[in-house]
Amino acid sequence: MVKDVYFFTEMGYTAYPQDEARRRGYNNLMFPNEHFSPERAQALYAMYFDELLYASESGFDGVMINEHHNNPLSMMPSVNVIGAALARTTRKGRIVFLGNVLPIHDNPLRVAEEVAMIDILSGGRVTCGFVRGLGQESLATNVNPIYNRERFDEAHDVIIKAWTTPGPFRWEGRHYEYRVVNPWMRPLQKPHPPIWIPGVVSPESVRWAAEHRYPYVALAPPLDTVDEIYDLYDEVAAASGYTPTSEQRGYAIRVCVADTDEQAYEEGRHFFWQLGTSFGIVPRHWMAPPGYMSRAATNSRRQQMRVGATNITPGGPINSYEEAHATYQIVTGSPDTLIKKLEHIIDVVDPAYMILWAREGLMSHEVAVHGIDLLTREVIPAIKAYRADREKGRRSLAVAR
Amino acid sequence: MTSAQGAFTEDFVEAAGVRIQLRRGGSGGPLLILHGELGVPGWLRAYELLARDFTIYVPSLPGFGQSARPDWIVSVRDLAAWVTWCVRDLKLSQPLPVIGTSMGGWIAAEIATMNAALFSKMVLVGAAGLQPEDGRVWDYFMHSNREAFAQAFCDPANAPEYARYYGKEWTAEDEAQAECNREMAARLLWKPYMRSHTLPALLRAIATPTLLVWGREDAIIPLNVCDRYVRAIPGATARVLDRCGHLPDMEQPDAFAEVVRDFLAP
Repeated sequence: MVKDVYFFTEMGYTAYPQDEARRRGYNNLMFPNEHFSPERAQALYAMYFDELLYASESGFDGVMINEHHNNPLSMMPSVNVIGAALARTTRKGRIVFLGNVLPIHDNPLRVAEEVAMIDILSGGRVTCGFVRGLGQESLATNVNPIYNRERFDEAHDVIIKAWTTPGPFRWEGRHYEYRVVNPWMRPLQKPHPPIWIPGVVSPESVRWAAEHRYPYVALAPPLDTVDEIYDLYDEVAAASGYTPTSEQRGYAIRVCVADTDEQAYEEGRHFFWQLGTSFGIVPRHWMAPPGYMSRAATNSRRQQMRVGATNITPGGPINSYEEAHATYQIVTGSPDTLIKKLEHIIDVVDPAYMILWAREGLMSHEVAVHGIDLLTREVIPAIKAYRADREKGRRSLAVAR
Repeated sequence: MTSAQGAFTEDFVEAAGVRIQLRRGGSGGPLLILHGELGVPGWLRAYELLARDFTIYVPSLPGFGQSARPDWIVSVRDLAAWVTWCVRDLKLSQPLPVIGTSMGGWIAAEIATMNAALFSKMVLVGAAGLQPEDGRVWDYFMHSNREAFAQAFCDPANAPEYARYYGKEWTAEDEAQAECNREMAARLLWKPYMRSHTLPALLRAIATPTLLVWGREDAIIPLNVCDRYVRAIPGATARVLDRCGHLPDMEQPDAFAEVVRDFLAP
């Protein structure tokens, strides 16, 4: 059963010139920041914060936030800064960090301190995701991508130990070394905020999440590839001696709802606001700097779908808006239509946590707020009442392939 | 094994604790060749020319080509230590001459700063390791493998070895090999990028006779780095090759072999 439903927006910086990005063939990392206006950003932040606040007050169980660097995709280059602001502007609901980009930090204890602070500031409302970052994040922060996964693992271990083991203690690892681990600030939730692992491709991340019994949140992938993810999770869980429940599964999906199917379909185009894609476009070697992607990830079905493309976008092939409907990378419709489509996803995935990525791009504030109303009044109650039929989900996947 | 360019053998040997791919051929005293960050794609024409006077040894360095990658090699200095051990394990007579290209030049220079007894003479070709006084080292890690190979030649369209190894249609194996080499390069060279903070001071300690060879049109490591090396290494001289990029042994093999033979002649 779906237990919690969260609201998400990338908080796109929509005021940059698409023509210039089209001319260059990329829209981030090296896209000149002369095209950034702090004044425009101020206005956009105000609008996005209003929407996040409204969503958290009106029936969502919380909001999700994330982090990207050198990228107009997202105005959240620090997930902890956004999280801290939300901790004091929202009064209820979870704040789901998906998440802190661990490998880019040379001092992961700073992450432990900040998340602990925000957990206290918010009254224990933090859900703490850890991520490896897009390939571009390694380049933007110049942290060797070869060690991305090693640093992720070790930073995670330092943070969890700092939260759960009384200090002071020493840490001498391969990438991190501390004479004194003894952060004064420790989280309110015990033993620590719930840890989630979101991802788009790497089987290693799925395996790692399953080994740690952390929920794995699939970020808006093509629906017919999710069994690759969750079958692996189940397999690793079985080998680790437990049976996963829906509590181990999260799912993020682009949704656009409006009064009619036609209106929703038209408004949904705003999700593909960057050069006709959702995430934007970069050369392959920016997204996959050396060592960032393992051989196994390279060979995964999801990755194979992208082979051959010179320029790629995260989360799957560069599907057009029209194609993205067929792969369930976006679902749109009136509340009734949307409920049916989401029920299909629930049949396939059976997640306890759904993240509705429900506003994007140049969609107007009024449309976004109306969408939040339709979701909280009609859609969320319906999907929370729905009982997944996983057999039916499996059959439909087989047919889709 | 024979190729269009003559006889050589290619096999796997255990050297300095690592199973490596080793190409060798020719006759005469040993000549060690240390390849650069792009790896070595085969038995080059330059090797064949030099093989008339020397027995050429071209190991694929650990992590490159088909050679294994031990976890402990994470820096150019680690690799330098490995090379000295490898020379001993291969039972090559010492001192012996060495040619190091780009990163391989940096490795040779690092060894020479610590051990004057290993190399009789040293040829540093488009050597990495020093920061340019003007311009920047081209950033491999912001570009694709194909872009890198093209950038490394002055005139790829008219370079037979570019056509032979890089300009052709790539197989999946070619792609995987280029990516494997790139990963090892990132392991060794990511930051500080293609340079050492200590090498400039240590080069003054070198007692090995040294020749710098540089392509005039090197678009990876600018020619002014050649001048820095010449000024830093006591007695070093330079030969600059025209119509030549970052890989003189591949782009101007005849001219390259000639200047090297001149320098290595007793």
